[in-house]
Amino acid sequence: MKNLTITLVLVAMCHLVHAGGPWPQPKGQAYIKLSEWWTVFDEHYTDNGMRDPNLTTGIFNTTIYAEYGVTDRFTAVLNAPIFSRSYMNNQRSGTTEEIIINGEAINSIGDIDIGLKYGLTRPGANIPVAVSLTLGLPTGVSSGGQFGSLQTGDGEFNQYLKIDAGKSFAIGSAQSYVSLYTGVNNRGQDFSEEFRIGGELGVGLANSKFWLTGKLDILRSFKNSDRTQTINSTSIFANNAEFVSLGLEANVYVTRRAGISAGFATAVSGSIIAAAPSYSVGVFYDMSR
Amino acid sequence: MKNLLYLAIVIFLSSCIGDDFIDDRVDPEIRITSDIESLEINSTHQFEYIYLNNVGANESVAIDWSSSDPSIVSVDNNGLARALSVGVAIISAEFIDDENTLITAETSVRVENTTNGEDEDEEDEEEEQEEEEEEQPETRQGLIETTTFYTLTGTFTITEEGNGIRIDIEDDYEASTGLPGLYLYLSNNPNSIANAREVERILTFSGAHSFVVEDVGIDDYSHLLYFCKPFNVKVGDGEIQ
Repeated sequence: MKNLTITLVLVAMCHLVHAGGPWPQPKGQAYIKLSEWWTVFDEHYTDNGMRDPNLTTGIFNTTIYAEYGVTDRFTAVLNAPIFSRSYMNNQRSGTTEEIIINGEAINSIGDIDIGLKYGLTRPGANIPVAVSLTLGLPTGVSSGGQFGSLQTGDGEFNQYLKIDAGKSFAIGSAQSYVSLYTGVNNRGQDFSEEFRIGGELGVGLANSKFWLTGKLDILRSFKNSDRTQTINSTSIFANNAEFVSLGLEANVYVTRRAGISAGFATAVSGSIIAAAPSYSVGVFYDMSR
Repeated sequence: MKNLLYLAIVIFLSSCIGDDFIDDRVDPEIRITSDIESLEINSTHQFEYIYLNNVGANESVAIDWSSSDPSIVSVDNNGLARALSVGVAIISAEFIDDENTLITAETSVRVENTTNGEDEDEEDEEEEQEEEEEEQPETRQGLIETTTFYTLTGTFTITEEGNGIRIDIEDDYEASTGLPGLYLYLSNNPNSIANAREVERILTFSGAHSFVVEDVGIDDYSHLLYFCKPFNVKVGDGEIQ
């Protein structure tokens, strides 16, 4: 399992048009995306699901996401935040305007995910099914700033096992797809394990040059660790975090293979997680077309 | 391309450290820290005070002392009181702050004549009673209440101990385990840790426990303040009464 940063990265970025889902990349083909993802929040969901304020915090990730078809069934996946910035605002007196708590920021590489997806069904199957194992490497900073509360990673090695299934179909003349997934994330460093389930619905318009995708992601914690009692970082957002998130993403092919994307996702309910939308913009190159 | 550049600039600027303002205004206060109930005639007493400004910060200011009846108790500009005759007088401390607000504090002093032929036994009895009362350390109580949706509740007692205080959190205390980096402060501003005294990190989330704080007077602070450092946000407080 991952911390807030990574959790939201996954929410915002893992389900891309023609990437992710149960469809492995064809052998020798790749999907590459360079994107900027960010969220700025001054409220979070408490442990009982209510919204409480916090000092304004921002997290920005510049990420390379890539899929490569090792074979027609095996796809290697990389999600690498090559630059991650986390900051907190100054806290000032509303009376004297003097700084009470100095704001601070950290910049580093984020936590890198590497994974392997295997198609359980043959390419071109009516209902493709794939399993994937993603390893979350603790390459980011898990405890930065004066109070160790700034993070670009969670400091733990996790293993996320997921199964995806989907189906392509047509809505009128529009090519469309639906996919569902569920998985279990095993976290290290005494973090609680997590259960995830979700899906997405994509519709290709303008001769499949413009894709609009709606997403639903649900995360539930097994709550088998109360590590927040003894730590001093925003890993509060990570351990025992839960959410129901909705997202929307648009992808436009400006050439046959290259395009731009923009999306947002937000937790509509949750606990121990930021209560603000996350946004992403990026450019991609899709060799499979 | 130009649009992408604009977008990149907007994203870059929004990743800069900004300012959050908190409402930390409190009423300025003069607090007389060396109260006394009675004085023997012809004796003196030095009144001490602290002035807390509109954010609860201790500020050094010159205040005006006065007596409601200088023939009973006189007081000079330094707060030195002299008992002159039997009776009761109100000693006042006043200061006009930058906003032209008059800040006042008052305390009542009774002047007694212990050599006027009263029954000595009765006098001795009163003295013993006063001594007993003086031996009892001063205490304050209060109720901890959450100011967020996190659970935080309980009662507390503060007792003078040595050159400091002991804060006893009672059995009814309960706090959410969902917050990391929860700290206890002593503060004169319930909304800010500026000028507050950090007591200790909270590692007990239910039941009775205690904190000992050295070099603190029982009247030096007005509130217990629970503050989450990682989020820099107040979680709850308890007025010291």
